[in-house]
Amino acid sequence: MSAASDSRTPAEAVAPPPPAAWKRALAKARSNPTTMVGALICLAILLGAVLAPWIAPHDPAEQNILDRLLPPGGDYPLGTDQFGRDILSRLLWGARISLSVSLSAIAIAMVIGGAIGMVSGYIGGRFDLITMQVMDVLLSFPSLILGLIVVALLGPDLVNLIVAIALTAIAPFARIARAPTLALKERAFVEAGRALGFSHTRILFRHILPNITSEVMVMATLWLATAVRVEASLSFIGLGVKPPTPTWGGMTRDGFENILDSAWLATLPGLAILLLVLGLNMVGDGLRDATDPKLRNE
Amino acid sequence: MKGLRAALLGTAFAVAATAAAQAQSGPTLRVGMAAQDVGRLDPHFAVSTIDRVVVAWMFSGLVRFKPGSIDPSEIEPDLAERWETSADGRTWTFHLRRGVQFHGGFGELTAEDVVFSLRKSGTAASSAFAADFRAFQTVEAVDSHTVRIVLRENVPSLLGILTNYSGGFIVSRRAVEQRGADFVRAPIGTGPFALDRVTPNQSAELVAHAQYFRGTPQLGRVSYRFIPSDASRDLAFQNRELDVNYGRADQTWINRTRQVPNTVVDVFEPGELAILNLNTRQPPFNDIRVRQALAHAVNRAELVRFRGQDVAREGQSVVPRGYLGFAQQPLLPPDTNRARQLLAEAGHPNGLTVRVIHTQLPEMLTMMQVIQQQLRRSGITLDLQVVEHATFHQQIRQDLSPLVYYSAARFPVADIYLTQFWHGRSRVQTPTAVTNFSHCDQADAQIDAARVSTNVEEQKRLWAEAQQILVQNVCGVPLIETLLVFARRDNVDYGYQLRGSMSLGPVITEQTRIR
Amino acid sequence: MVFFFVRRLLAAVPTLLAVLTLVFVIVRIVPGDPALVILGDQATPEAAAALRARLGLDRPLWEQYLSFLGNALTGDFGNSLVTGRPILAEVGAVLPHTIDLTVAAMLFGVIIGVPVGIWAALHRNRAIDVAARILSLFGLSFPVFVSGIFALLLFSLHWRLFPVIGSANLDDPADRLHKLVLPAVTLGLVMAAYITRVTRSAMLASLSEDYIRTARAKGVPWRRVVWVHGLRNASLPIVTVVGLYVGILLGNSVLTEIVFNRPGLGKIIVGALNQRDYTMLQGLMVIYCFLIVVVNAVTDLLYGVLDPRVQAT
Repeated sequence: MSAASDSRTPAEAVAPPPPAAWKRALAKARSNPTTMVGALICLAILLGAVLAPWIAPHDPAEQNILDRLLPPGGDYPLGTDQFGRDILSRLLWGARISLSVSLSAIAIAMVIGGAIGMVSGYIGGRFDLITMQVMDVLLSFPSLILGLIVVALLGPDLVNLIVAIALTAIAPFARIARAPTLALKERAFVEAGRALGFSHTRILFRHILPNITSEVMVMATLWLATAVRVEASLSFIGLGVKPPTPTWGGMTRDGFENILDSAWLATLPGLAILLLVLGLNMVGDGLRDATDPKLRNE
Repeated sequence: MKGLRAALLGTAFAVAATAAAQAQSGPTLRVGMAAQDVGRLDPHFAVSTIDRVVVAWMFSGLVRFKPGSIDPSEIEPDLAERWETSADGRTWTFHLRRGVQFHGGFGELTAEDVVFSLRKSGTAASSAFAADFRAFQTVEAVDSHTVRIVLRENVPSLLGILTNYSGGFIVSRRAVEQRGADFVRAPIGTGPFALDRVTPNQSAELVAHAQYFRGTPQLGRVSYRFIPSDASRDLAFQNRELDVNYGRADQTWINRTRQVPNTVVDVFEPGELAILNLNTRQPPFNDIRVRQALAHAVNRAELVRFRGQDVAREGQSVVPRGYLGFAQQPLLPPDTNRARQLLAEAGHPNGLTVRVIHTQLPEMLTMMQVIQQQLRRSGITLDLQVVEHATFHQQIRQDLSPLVYYSAARFPVADIYLTQFWHGRSRVQTPTAVTNFSHCDQADAQIDAARVSTNVEEQKRLWAEAQQILVQNVCGVPLIETLLVFARRDNVDYGYQLRGSMSLGPVITEQTRIR
Repeated sequence: MVFFFVRRLLAAVPTLLAVLTLVFVIVRIVPGDPALVILGDQATPEAAAALRARLGLDRPLWEQYLSFLGNALTGDFGNSLVTGRPILAEVGAVLPHTIDLTVAAMLFGVIIGVPVGIWAALHRNRAIDVAARILSLFGLSFPVFVSGIFALLLFSLHWRLFPVIGSANLDDPADRLHKLVLPAVTLGLVMAAYITRVTRSAMLASLSEDYIRTARAKGVPWRRVVWVHGLRNASLPIVTVVGLYVGILLGNSVLTEIVFNRPGLGKIIVGALNQRDYTMLQGLMVIYCFLIVVVNAVTDLLYGVLDPRVQAT
């Protein structure tokens, strides 16, 4: 592609067209059966979550004290919990919490972490050094312990849960956004843009951002799985969303205390968590295989 | 390095204690408790159920509740053989039993130890129960085995304060002075069992005190094991890894445990009365119609059904039943329509949302969820702010929650409950605060008059009047009383019938044995 | 080498300091009062104030901070606010359990993960490889508490092979091992899955390197090529993952300890958070950081041993 035969500015002309790479990766991922199965699982759960208000047979908070701890069957397809609430309905509604908490946490982490990484890499020098050191401190702390401390201290509720999970995921996003930025800023088209007097903001948004998107997105899919797991773990420890809102981790926790008489109380939500994390991992895995240049060359 | 030294010192104590304990041949009783760990083992700081249960095995008071009973009329001599009262009831003289030996070779109990202990109990810096001793003027030793207590004013039950419960436990003066801050992990008392060692997060190990004044205990050791998860503890009990197990006050649990072979489930007093305390000084509950609406929205019978007939019973007043001075009150019946009507009259035709701070402690959270559901039917939405337990206790004392779910048992005399929860002096956010979350003070005159009255009938009449006033004002909505539950293997014989225990767990005495 | 190690530890001091300061500040600005935990619910404000004074909680924050830092430097983390026992002794008593668990889980992960990973790499795209990849995805997706509950239901409740109470007697090796099996396998499952995947891709990359091809062409036996040259080359990414993963293991050990009722750091931290045991929390943070710093340093050291290009000086 030569600059002469193109009406665009030189800097834009030399920038590789990123959407094509992303499309290619998607096409490759689609041909991978694992990815497709994973996508189907995620889609099914997403559908259940979105349609929960219409397809759930009962109100997830409605207690029926006479119908406590019923085994699966009859009026309650998956049984009832210690308050006589319908497990199936709670699972469906719980999917909403799992998904919305993880999606928002990862979105936040992606935006903040990505921005930190990009800016830090772009500015470079001492600023970069200090920023990355801070990120390293964050990174070196086990995410569950970090989440545990944040939620326990701020108090367990939806917003704090999202903040805590986002906090644990910022550092990896900063790292993954920084590395390509460092490489890109030395590249011809960025230098050209700078020579043409483009503002830093414009260079960052028009030239660097499109080129790191695919890597950050793959990372986001993989971290989504982690986020679902951390959310469930925190709820299991008792630091989840406030009752009577159903969460899978919280349901597993309640079920665990009744494990001797009613094992399904703990196993059903446990399986739901497993399924969602597995689906996300399968999708993320396929996407990574498809976008990782090292693996592509294999 | 100081930390290391302290650690070594701690070990040294444990070793010393082991050495002092004589070789025991009796069997070991294994008790499973829902706990992470014990706290400070100074009996005057034992406020949690976990700590109360175990200090009662290691310490004695001047008098004691008859084992298995919490009836104040059955209080009997313990470290004191006998006592006299002056005509005005303000001067009490206690004659100590002779030859009572402390654990670990700390010698014979004397009046000095008793004076020291009671003064320690009465001082805020060294005791969690100092407030109970407010009426004490002086405590002094008359001779080596006689103690005299002089009171400022009459108290409804002086013997109650001196029992083997809360501030009444007697410690060794020499041990406290020698060990200082370390006393909390190497306590010395006169009870049937002495502390051998604590393995953090695992267990507290006790050995029989061979010189116990009622005779050498039949058990050799008691192992008090901390297992927070109900499921694991139950399973360990079923697998015969435990002899005694802390139970869940829940019908499902009791029914299932009763089916385990060779198992006895003991359900015993005191009942913990749960009350919804309503802040009468703040909206929305400063309007009595809203308070009445809430009272109509609560369905006690359903709460009892939820908990189980064996462990729960309906609350009948703002004082738990069975307490000296308790008087049953007519409470507002469950009536959803009436509740909605009252709310509309009070200007909430579309219902009401209340932001409530609540603890994440599982048992309390479970109950609150049932109540949340009941209130929802009458248009009252509880927006639960669930915080961890320490924060809950702090924030409800800062008036941050207009509605406070509080469940408590106290010494079984109406005065204590009425004073702590319903007397103006105990209002939270005041210097003398205890647990008056409703800010009600309408019954102060009756409560105060009853306390100093020397006429029992007069006292009872005043207490009944106070309860009537508080219920009429809907300062709080009584919910249910929940009893305590422990399971044991049927070869465990406590040595008495377990009908009640102020230490909230079975008292292990010298007569407790494994058949 | 000792010098290298010491230097690594010293380099971590700013990190430790930052974490300590953060914990110190956060713990004190959030609600919750340890005095109420200690005195119980009948305490009057006067009594609470008296206790706070005795615990030193009424002093100005900077004063508490300085004395905390000073003591921490000499290795004294003070006493737990709630139990009154020295923090080092408390932690010391449960640390062996956590170390047992973490090390056993790590070993399980390596022992399962490395051979399976190599095996899968050598049979690329064949049934074994596909199975290994799917199973490792499963392993990766199992939240520890879910797999733990399943393990408990099957092995302890159904088959009664292992006890439910996981608190082992440290002086009895047989008991200690018996009670370690289920939790360690549960915790090690995720680790095994990770290591399988990393080993597989590292081996694939390593086996496609030029010098391996050269060695093969020269007639070096295939087995030797795989185990000596291939594995040596692949060991770097594996060690990196193991090092990184120790932190995650420490985190997940909280859940394992809850499910299997094992004493340990995780259980203590949950308890300290609930009871607002400031001093305990501070001490635990330092210990966590210290453990992670040590693991990182060891990982770096191993780098030096494995890769002659990295100089461990």
